[in-house]
Amino acid sequence: MGYAASEPGTTAVAPALAIKILVAGGFGVGKTTMVGTISEIRPLHTEELLSDRGVGVDDISGVEAKITTTVALDFGRITIREGLWLYLFGTPGQDRFWFMWDELALGALGAVVLADTRRLQDCFPAVDYFEQRGIPFVVGVNCFEGARRYDPDKVRRALGLNATIPIVLCDVRERDSVKEVLTTLVTYAVEGP
Amino acid sequence: MTGEDPGPLIRLFGLTGGRARPQGEMFDLVAIVTTVYGARPPVDLLPEHHTVLQLCRRPTPVADVAAHLRLPVNITRVILGDLRREGLVAIERPRPAAQTIDERIYREVLDGLRSL
Repeated sequence: MGYAASEPGTTAVAPALAIKILVAGGFGVGKTTMVGTISEIRPLHTEELLSDRGVGVDDISGVEAKITTTVALDFGRITIREGLWLYLFGTPGQDRFWFMWDELALGALGAVVLADTRRLQDCFPAVDYFEQRGIPFVVGVNCFEGARRYDPDKVRRALGLNATIPIVLCDVRERDSVKEVLTTLVTYAVEGP
Repeated sequence: MTGEDPGPLIRLFGLTGGRARPQGEMFDLVAIVTTVYGARPPVDLLPEHHTVLQLCRRPTPVADVAAHLRLPVNITRVILGDLRREGLVAIERPRPAAQTIDERIYREVLDGLRSL
């Protein structure tokens, strides 16, 4: 059986491009909610199988790694046009899956670090991670009901953030709010501070 | 992948021959997979292979292929690596986003986001 792929010449104008954006932050800060708010599809769920190599056991060259566990990976999609998409990946919250970030972050345009002002320290690891690797990120302060509204400057000081890193107060349940966070990130990542 | 039923695991093993990593060059979660035009698949392809070849007639990122197959990303990668080795799909090489986004794409993305 032959497969007629897209006809040559018709799609060659601009190659398809998927742009990857990460959504990081502590457990329960609203990462999946944010992806769900803006994604055109119900966040897709897949699993990454982890090998024992992944969880820190010495690699034995030439021996296939044994698969030991799985981690859920949720992502959403925004189609800009045919052949141009934004993919939002929620990063696994648990520390033991830290190594998976390296793969997720590879080639990413940038990241949104979601912060909850009641537990600001939860987003420290994500901030450190992106700072160390020079991956552009913005901080979205998710303004939960009942949480005190914070002055962005206070958040900046508390997180020890460089003055150029954008901080956006947001409500991840609101589409317009998530749009603002993402446009801020894309602008910052492309144009720089 | 949950519960006591070993069936799914055995099925996954059958798809990959127990391999945890794809053959050849590694590729990104959002690498674009495209079915090679005019390629003639061998007769012994698995249903999953056919699904991929059908789906990727439109260029499709790896993560979407995994979600479509309802398979873990690593398993999907092994399947895609096999199809690539057979010359049935092309998988885009990894490129940093910063190098692929020119002014026009940047504008398109910003306008697209704003008009959501």
